[in-house]
Amino acid sequence: MKTLRIALAAAIAAATLLALRPDPTGAVPVFARKYGLNCTNCHSGFPRLNDWGQRFRANGYRLPDRENEEKTVLESPPPFALRTSHGYTYERFENGAEGTNASGFRVHGLDVLSAGVIAPHVSYLMVYPPQLAESRGVQGQEGTIEMASVVFSGLGSPWLNVRAGRFEPAYAAFSVKRHLSITPYEIYDYAFPGGSPFSETQEGIEVTGSSRGFAYAAGLLNGSATNRSSDGPSDAYARASMVIGAGEGQTAGQRIGVTGYLGRARPLEGLTDLQTYSRLGVDASLNLKQVNLAAQWLYGQDPKALWGPGFADDACWSGFFAELSWQPLVECVAFARYDLVNGPAANEEDITRLTGGGRYYFADNLALHLEYSRRTLDTPASDDPTEDLATARLDIGF
Amino acid sequence: MKGRWAASLLAMILVSLTLTWSTGALGQFLANGPLPPVPVPPDNPQTDAKVRLGAQLYFDTRLSADNTISCATCHAPKTGWSNPHPTDTGIRGQVGGRNSGTILNAAYMRVQFWDGRAATLEEQAVGPIHNPIEMGETLENVVRKLNGIPGYRAQFNTVFGTDANPDGIAKAIAAFERTVVTGPAPYDRWLAGEKSAMTPAAVRGMNLFNGKGHCSPCHSGPAFSDQGYHNIGAGMDRKDPDLGREVVTKDPRDRGRFKTPGLRNCALTPPYLHTGSEKTLADVIAYYDRGGIANPNLDPLMLPLNLTSREKADLVAFLEALTGTQPNITPPALPEAGPAQEGGSR
Repeated sequence: MKTLRIALAAAIAAATLLALRPDPTGAVPVFARKYGLNCTNCHSGFPRLNDWGQRFRANGYRLPDRENEEKTVLESPPPFALRTSHGYTYERFENGAEGTNASGFRVHGLDVLSAGVIAPHVSYLMVYPPQLAESRGVQGQEGTIEMASVVFSGLGSPWLNVRAGRFEPAYAAFSVKRHLSITPYEIYDYAFPGGSPFSETQEGIEVTGSSRGFAYAAGLLNGSATNRSSDGPSDAYARASMVIGAGEGQTAGQRIGVTGYLGRARPLEGLTDLQTYSRLGVDASLNLKQVNLAAQWLYGQDPKALWGPGFADDACWSGFFAELSWQPLVECVAFARYDLVNGPAANEEDITRLTGGGRYYFADNLALHLEYSRRTLDTPASDDPTEDLATARLDIGF
Repeated sequence: MKGRWAASLLAMILVSLTLTWSTGALGQFLANGPLPPVPVPPDNPQTDAKVRLGAQLYFDTRLSADNTISCATCHAPKTGWSNPHPTDTGIRGQVGGRNSGTILNAAYMRVQFWDGRAATLEEQAVGPIHNPIEMGETLENVVRKLNGIPGYRAQFNTVFGTDANPDGIAKAIAAFERTVVTGPAPYDRWLAGEKSAMTPAAVRGMNLFNGKGHCSPCHSGPAFSDQGYHNIGAGMDRKDPDLGREVVTKDPRDRGRFKTPGLRNCALTPPYLHTGSEKTLADVIAYYDRGGIANPNLDPLMLPLNLTSREKADLVAFLEALTGTQPNITPPALPEAGPAQEGGSR
């Protein structure tokens, strides 16, 4: 552990050094370093992708129309990057008359990222959060492979790209890994006990394609973590979206999309056979100059067995979020979001969350993140449990 | 054990990053650094006499069919060695289809003309002479005229050991054009460590240039050009749009693509784009901010930028900081016509 702490301290020191070094290009993690570009080429409010970044990602981490000039990982700078954040966080949990506080300075995890082009039409992305022990000053995390995928892109045309491995599936219209806020999209985090919410990465295979504003994605996934190894891939999804106007709907153009998901899962407890459940989502991303409105509605229908013995009927739930962001300058972005989840009738619990915050970029790769969020669990009880979070932290990538 | 593995991985990454840092810029795109020495082809070495001859030819209207147009007519020193009008006007008032690119630092471009149809400065130098809209003359007739001017004939014999011929004309003009280069710009001085050389607005503009403005993927390298061809949509909304590079390659994928112009000294060379349709640098920024003009072959990286007014102004400030010290060249005295030349060209 001592070695790890020393390495962590060195990493943070190097991060600070690198972040503050006077560099005319301000180039940072993997891709920025490879191309000698600033982060803001691909991000409008790092980590959120802009339309340029979205096209770059969709093209298998290659610059569209410049594929012949791409250098492979062996011809590029070392394809590694680190991302971490640290700062002050205040949390308060209230449940009726009881209330607890948690506050202090914390290191909020660490990600090791690696990505690049392996060969023409083949690239990869890996995100590895190393194991960190929980302590008062360090947010614990499990050492795992959060993402490790290979992308075969432009296979004959922009209509066929294949991504395989563990990745962030396209059914989440708004990336959970690259959104502006720290607090989650509640509807993406919602699932039956033990089920895989939309916010999690999955193992599987995905085909995507796009042309002239229309994009599709379809995939086959391992599915719920409650399944057995012998069950095999059990979940499939499809998504279609359309962009009106120039752009990808990230920060330019108006995008609407629809997603369908069909999965088979075993209950967390009990010996019931695989149960079929479904999701249907509609989303929109609307842009007007520096303002973006992102909205997602999601409907879920789960067999009662997946929710446990308290459910006499199948569970139907729905919810949405709407997030408004404004980036008046490249150095700053503000956001506000409303989340609502109408849980299954049987558990009589709904969730609402109000979030507001902003990010100020001292440099492309160093942001001061301010956020306040209040989550309320609406229950039949007179005093609804609430969670309040206020945080000020530095977000660093290098 | 897991901790040790993690520590080893982190240490490896740190070493990698440190090596990257210490070895300087490794970006895929060429760094926008200072201009290197002018590249000179082995078969056309620079000599003072050749440059003097080239300068005279450059400024001499007798290279055109009606003795009214010289290279300098459309690439005038007073207007940044370019044409202040949207497109060229050649002999007999004929109007061309494209904006005249500047001669400043043309020596650094791998190919010449908006569509790259000339592989060398030598090839470019004689192109306008026999272009029917520009100078409208035949090379044979130009050779005949030049050899009829004793001052030229003598110089050609001194420089090339032969009378004037198309090859000599091309080499002399190209040699002169290789002297039409600019010295350090405020940006170069800033890069060299003189932090007061650029205004804060220009520094902000530089960061936008390399980031949100999406400029540097194409405007990369010392001349601020990737020397490639891109369709940015300019003029593609016209009834008969200029096909650009496709005219040269006959490849439909090149439709509407034009060579990326260098950006050094661009503040001196309005109007802009191959159409000459953007009158000021602010107009050009506004054009890119809109994401260009949609067409089937639009470069996929042409996207609306959502720039604010301040960001647009910052980008202009940076582009203005690319203006280098100008070459001290004045139009030379031209050889007087011989007896046979008096009164007309043909």
